[in-house]
Amino acid sequence: MIKPKIAYFNKFIHWKMVMVYLIAILCVTIVLTTAIGPVYVPPLEIVALLGNKLHLCEAASIPHKYDVIILQIRLPRIVLGLLVGLSLATAGTTLQGLFKNPMADPYIIGIASGAAVGAVFSMLILPGFLFIYTKPFMAFLGAMFTTFLVYNIAKVGRRIPVDTLLLTGIAVSLFLGAVLSFMMFVAEDLHSIFFWLMGGFWLANWAQVKITILPVFVCFFLIYIFAKDLNAMLLGEECAQTLGINVEWVKKILLVFAAFITATAVSFVGTIGFVGLIIPHITRILVGPDHRILFPASALVGGIFLVWTDALARLLGEMPVGIITAFFGAPFFIYLLRKRKGGHYFT
Amino acid sequence: MPLEIKDVDAYYGSVKILDGIDFSASHGELLGVIGPNGSGKTTLLRTISRILKPKVGTILLEGRDVQGMKDKEFSRNFAAVPQDTTINFDFSALDIVLMGRNPHLGRLELEGEEDIEIARRCMELTNCWHLAERPITELSGGERQLVIIARALTQEPKVLLLDEPTSHLDINYQIEIMELLKRLTSEEKLIVVAVIHDLNLAAQYCDRLALLHKGKIVSLGTQAQVLTAENIKNTFGADVIIKKHALTDHCFVSPVPSLLKRQNKNEAELTIHLICGGGEGASLMHELCERGYRVTAGVVNMLDTDQEVAKLLNIPVVTEAPFSPITEEAFQAHLALIDKANVVVLCNTPFGYGNLKNLEVAERALERNKPLLVFDATRIEKRDFTNGEATKRFIALKDKGAIMVKSQEEVLKLLNISTLFDA
Repeated sequence: MIKPKIAYFNKFIHWKMVMVYLIAILCVTIVLTTAIGPVYVPPLEIVALLGNKLHLCEAASIPHKYDVIILQIRLPRIVLGLLVGLSLATAGTTLQGLFKNPMADPYIIGIASGAAVGAVFSMLILPGFLFIYTKPFMAFLGAMFTTFLVYNIAKVGRRIPVDTLLLTGIAVSLFLGAVLSFMMFVAEDLHSIFFWLMGGFWLANWAQVKITILPVFVCFFLIYIFAKDLNAMLLGEECAQTLGINVEWVKKILLVFAAFITATAVSFVGTIGFVGLIIPHITRILVGPDHRILFPASALVGGIFLVWTDALARLLGEMPVGIITAFFGAPFFIYLLRKRKGGHYFT
Repeated sequence: MPLEIKDVDAYYGSVKILDGIDFSASHGELLGVIGPNGSGKTTLLRTISRILKPKVGTILLEGRDVQGMKDKEFSRNFAAVPQDTTINFDFSALDIVLMGRNPHLGRLELEGEEDIEIARRCMELTNCWHLAERPITELSGGERQLVIIARALTQEPKVLLLDEPTSHLDINYQIEIMELLKRLTSEEKLIVVAVIHDLNLAAQYCDRLALLHKGKIVSLGTQAQVLTAENIKNTFGADVIIKKHALTDHCFVSPVPSLLKRQNKNEAELTIHLICGGGEGASLMHELCERGYRVTAGVVNMLDTDQEVAKLLNIPVVTEAPFSPITEEAFQAHLALIDKANVVVLCNTPFGYGNLKNLEVAERALERNKPLLVFDATRIEKRDFTNGEATKRFIALKDKGAIMVKSQEEVLKLLNISTLFDA
């Protein structure tokens, strides 16, 4: 019987096809969402402009009236949206795999709240001792601090049961929420913090993209290295251990990376909830549980999803995008909770 | 010895679970670990598979300390099959098996032709290749167990550790898996250490057994050495009968019926004597004891089932040497027992020249006005090996007033109408 063997290699081809489709959808998304906004830009002009900029084609006579809108306002916003979507989806996938629980998400665990506290703290007290890096750095510190706080509170003996982890995450989130409220209460510039917290891409610019892009991609790659380990850990931690994986070490490393990638996203666009919850789950339904395809696929789906929700936010009069994701995300979370009753995750 | 466990102590927190465990196993050996719940069997496997670090002692594989091995190197030598193999993710069976190649592959390396070839070989070995494309979540418990064992094998280990691989499986899969383990040791020269709950399966398939109790090995050796009624009583606290399996000569453990413990509670007024032999009286003995009658039996040869059962039930019985005719001495002893009995039952025993005296004793019983119940379930001609002599005497019994019965139930019913047989 030779069939399963061929089918197995077909799987790799299938993975490649999934990536090709997603990248194609991504390209279409970039063009279409660039067109959307207060000023409509015909998609063909966008393609022409992009082609010209990337030296793919020589279009001699392009009207330059859209240049600023496309290049300085919409494109950085879309690219940042992609990076944030990618980051949140990757953090969500990592945490869900790590805790074998589809309800793990950087927001629910409290990592994002920690990052937000760090970021707001930097906005209030230390504006600019590291220049543009101050906010991301403080956000990372806040995320790391929260991660290890939650990790250590949730730890029972040497293990971290999922239920205590979720409960600890919620408790710590509530506490950090109070800290945020307090900081807003004493803040002079309440307005900017308030809008930042709701999550949005209004202030996106190329400088932010430049700072974000490298750390996000490096971190994504570093997490991807552990894809096979996460697969094995889905079978149970002791099982993974007998397959030659240092489970406790992998857990800690991945928590740090998840905190880092979340903090990077949060520090520029504020708290955008539930992307890390919904996206990995939907992607898992599409491509299966194997993290080797789940990571890149959910990163792309996350980027595409966030760019579209941001476009929707733009159409709805510059509404904070966090409101829209929460509108989708919270019912989804409840759906997962109800489904969980059978005791089966991920099915 | 390739696998040596030397003086290992292991703790959960401050609780000592393993205490001075010391044994070794060689290539091609199937070592069964048995013991009551909580005796440390699983902990022992966890310690060998390096999930739990021993506080004292070392574990050596071919002379090398396993603590010194790198993670991946360790898992190229040791593979484990956990007790709970439930997987809630939609991986295909082949995906799961290929995870066993992890220790042989780089972090970003995809499985190649060779890996799939190894997975196929292992799945064929465990007879689950036909399940390769099925989602693991849809397989039955037994099928899943085969897949998990195949995964362990694709690690190409020298040592295979299994924690109760046959629990929750039906007898068909129990046998399949135990035969598989046997094959893996004898053909692939693996060292297999398996915790096995079922003592009879352990006895039948394991080369050696280690009996664990309170974290210590209390007995280690062949099944005949380890599985003694005394050992089982001391560790499990259960009363068992150890017999030799008729086919394989392996130990066979079965629980002692609870009546032995409540014997003499219901002292009955009637004493029933069974004339039996050839295993024909055994179950009636048991039934009568169960109902509180006093039971005696005779004359049976040593090694006869009836004799063994009588011994187990603590019944007074007249015995004769194996395969020997009944001597005058035994005959007299038998008569003495019959004199004490209220009712005599002649069982459905076959007769040869050796035990004709048991028919004679029945005649004497009638002469002494003892009520005699005679089993007539199998026609006497068919169990007469004396050229008609036994038949003649049997028919004479009928004529002299013996009560013919067809079944055990009939005997019990007649005995219930105790007015028939006044004490």
